[in-house]
Amino acid sequence: MVFKVNGLARKQEALQSIVKPQMTSLIDILTLLLVFLIQSYNAEGNLITVSSDLQLPLSASKEAPRTAAMVEITRDQVLADGRVLASVADMVSSDSLLNNNIYDYMMAKKKLISDTAQIPEVIIQCDKEHPFVVVKKVMFSCSKAGFSNFSILAVQKE
Amino acid sequence: MKTLTALSGRNAPSDAMEDEVDLNISPIMNVLIMLIPFLTSLAVYAHLSILELSLPPNVGSGTLSGSGKPKLKMTLVLHPEYIAVTYGEKMLDSLPKLGPQYDYTSLSDRLKVRREEMENKEEAVVAVRDEISFKYVVDVLDVCRGAGFSKTAVAGAAATLEAGK
Repeated sequence: MVFKVNGLARKQEALQSIVKPQMTSLIDILTLLLVFLIQSYNAEGNLITVSSDLQLPLSASKEAPRTAAMVEITRDQVLADGRVLASVADMVSSDSLLNNNIYDYMMAKKKLISDTAQIPEVIIQCDKEHPFVVVKKVMFSCSKAGFSNFSILAVQKE
Repeated sequence: MKTLTALSGRNAPSDAMEDEVDLNISPIMNVLIMLIPFLTSLAVYAHLSILELSLPPNVGSGTLSGSGKPKLKMTLVLHPEYIAVTYGEKMLDSLPKLGPQYDYTSLSDRLKVRREEMENKEEAVVAVRDEISFKYVVDVLDVCRGAGFSKTAVAGAAATLEAGK
């Protein structure tokens, strides 16, 4: 009787030693994930942080963004360096093309840039659904402050 | 028959050995598990790009010809109902909207044809009405680039302009 129990225990031990987790499928998944991540890997990182409160338009342009003065036109506000310069509603309803807050801010920015050899350039991040009048007024205010080179930030089409 | 028996007899221990050989995949698993969070943190899922613009001739500098007058450029007027292609005061084409979208395919074809007739093959101006959504402006700028105009300017279109109707 004792012999039988010992035999059964040994059999169970033998079975346990044979049963191993199946790692092939896990390795397959990890390898696929690794390939996908290597494809989307960018060693340069992002030079520009996109505001979370806006949806950028799609563009076929392949030109990589560079560092420059940035104006963000989110769903409700016009911002620069995290500072609120105007509200979108006011920009739309205003009769004047010139916005004094944007102009003053860009003038201060221009003074900082003029100390360096940097060409005054503005990158505009704008929500894709905004009417063009908002962008027009921002561009006008920036151009009055001496910024004549403009770029629009967009998401590259696949 | 003897040979077969001998061979099978000889192979039997090595078969057993092969069954017992087990690859140690722990190091490769460790490497993968370390690599995946690292690559995930550096992965870029949406690639950003920029579209360069210049100011219209009456605002920007460097767009004037030697005589001091602005150079004549092809102008695309973006209206809520159509896109008009003009050159100076001459209306070249008018492409009505197809449902909610503009007809970008026809616009691209027309621009390629018109560009060949133009003296200034590099520059184009996109004149946009105030109420047009920004995404359509970017789409039209893309079409201009695709048609071969490397320098594009954006301007506001006068609300009174009724060309194309």
